[in-house]
Amino acid sequence: MATTSIQTVSFRNLEDDTVDVSAPTVFLVGENGQGKSNFLDALYTLSYGASFRGGTDLEAAKLGTKAWSLRRQSNDDTGLDDELVVAWDEGKKLLKENGKAIPDRKYLVDKTPAVVFCHGDMEFAQGEPERRRFFFDQTAGLVSLAYIDALRSYRRALKARNAALKEKMLDVLDILDIQLATYGTELIGGRKDLIQGFENMFSERYEQVSRLGSKVGLEYRPSWPAECSSDEINDRLLASREREVMFGTTLSGPHRDRFVFIDDHGDFSARASTGQLRLLALTLRIVQAEYCSGMSGKLPLLLLDDVLLELDPEKRRRFMENLPAARKAVFTFLPGEPYGDYRSADTAVYWVEHGRLSNTAGV
Amino acid sequence: MKALEDLVTLLSRLPGIGKKSAYRMAFHILKLDGQFAALLAERITGLKDKVRFCSRCGAYTEEDPCPVCSSPSRDRSVLCVVEQPQDVLTIEASREYHGLYHVLGGLISPLDGVGPDALRLDRLVDRVRELGVREVILATNPTVEGDTTALYVKRMLDATGVRVSRLATGMPVGGDLEYADRLTLVRSFRGRTGL
Repeated sequence: MATTSIQTVSFRNLEDDTVDVSAPTVFLVGENGQGKSNFLDALYTLSYGASFRGGTDLEAAKLGTKAWSLRRQSNDDTGLDDELVVAWDEGKKLLKENGKAIPDRKYLVDKTPAVVFCHGDMEFAQGEPERRRFFFDQTAGLVSLAYIDALRSYRRALKARNAALKEKMLDVLDILDIQLATYGTELIGGRKDLIQGFENMFSERYEQVSRLGSKVGLEYRPSWPAECSSDEINDRLLASREREVMFGTTLSGPHRDRFVFIDDHGDFSARASTGQLRLLALTLRIVQAEYCSGMSGKLPLLLLDDVLLELDPEKRRRFMENLPAARKAVFTFLPGEPYGDYRSADTAVYWVEHGRLSNTAGV
Repeated sequence: MKALEDLVTLLSRLPGIGKKSAYRMAFHILKLDGQFAALLAERITGLKDKVRFCSRCGAYTEEDPCPVCSSPSRDRSVLCVVEQPQDVLTIEASREYHGLYHVLGGLISPLDGVGPDALRLDRLVDRVRELGVREVILATNPTVEGDTTALYVKRMLDATGVRVSRLATGMPVGGDLEYADRLTLVRSFRGRTGL
């Protein structure tokens, strides 16, 4: 699948336009606040059906409007045109592929997988455990629809169980325990499989990018023992029932799982420097892309939002050398950055100003 | 035009009807002759007057008990448990099922504050015993709430010794693997059966 153009209508601060993105590498150059990241977000939204910048769909609408639309034109592997539309109007999200409605955005994810590198990724390296769970859930979801299904079911059962605990609906708790244990063990199995494949790739890549000289590994620490069956988990939930009713919430389960970066001295991220953490976050995204293409056989779209900005020249070089294979890569740069050094003959460079992308002036 | 706006406001409160569709309907009614509008209004009012719940199974009916409950040809040893009254019409359209029904009137959903007490569950146990039912078929949707309710009903009926089954999930009949919804395919693999 080769994306050829992106049309944006009333999306964030972008001018309504159709932009040619047929080049394998696209550079978006412009000052802060001009619309570079918004264009990346348009590409991301066409892959996931949701923004990577957070916020509501209404907030993604251009000021003064209450609807937006994005259209992606591609050529599929047989050379036929392929059109994907993600739009939001009257409070409803609409997904269409070649004129036919797509019932759920989860079906978009493995169609054209995308991996975004952005400033917020630092939270995967040093933030709350919830952010790391988000990252690994997203990685597993990129290659398994069943994982997305199990995750959604687990979250729904967890919410229901928490509500039952708060309202003291004790007669339903036995049933919700069975469901939580069933979906939870499925999730734990999925996370275990993921880490088995991910861990070696991560250690190797981090060594190449950081040149740290010592191995940094990744460990999955599930809240419930990974070897427990769903019946055993059910017994554990029953044993902690009284305490959980008192707190009005579920105190254990995959929503409390942890992923830890470890070296010879223990928790690496607790001691790592800001530079090391930044590289760790970048490596996670590199391996996410490689894992995704290795498992699904599909090369991802790479979206790189100001990632080189905070790296010294040597680290930038190493990062660029370690970039994973991609279907297409779109970078954002500030005008002062040496983006010319990374440019090749088939790179398209756009100047971004006041939401307008032009491939002539200022570049 | 207040009359038009008032009708559009009401119509757009119906499920699946947005503002645009409501306007389209209202303009269409305006275009038709007055007799149609009068008939439509009469039928809507009549619906609420005439249709009620069957006192036995909880399905929609104009006579109580409903035609299914009062038919001597239905198999009284099988009871199909459904969430909503309209599910009865859907299953009846298949002409495959010849037993009786029991409508729960919802699903257990602590998130919406719906517990087992809000459903017609006590009546279900009574009916299983009174009718001497041999099998209860749970036809709740394959969602988290549908699963919760099915598991709850199964446990509740354990004491009666009745056989409890659940509708199968998987590939649609006549479906082509190539065009199957991917999640359906995933579930079909997990729920595969021996030959």
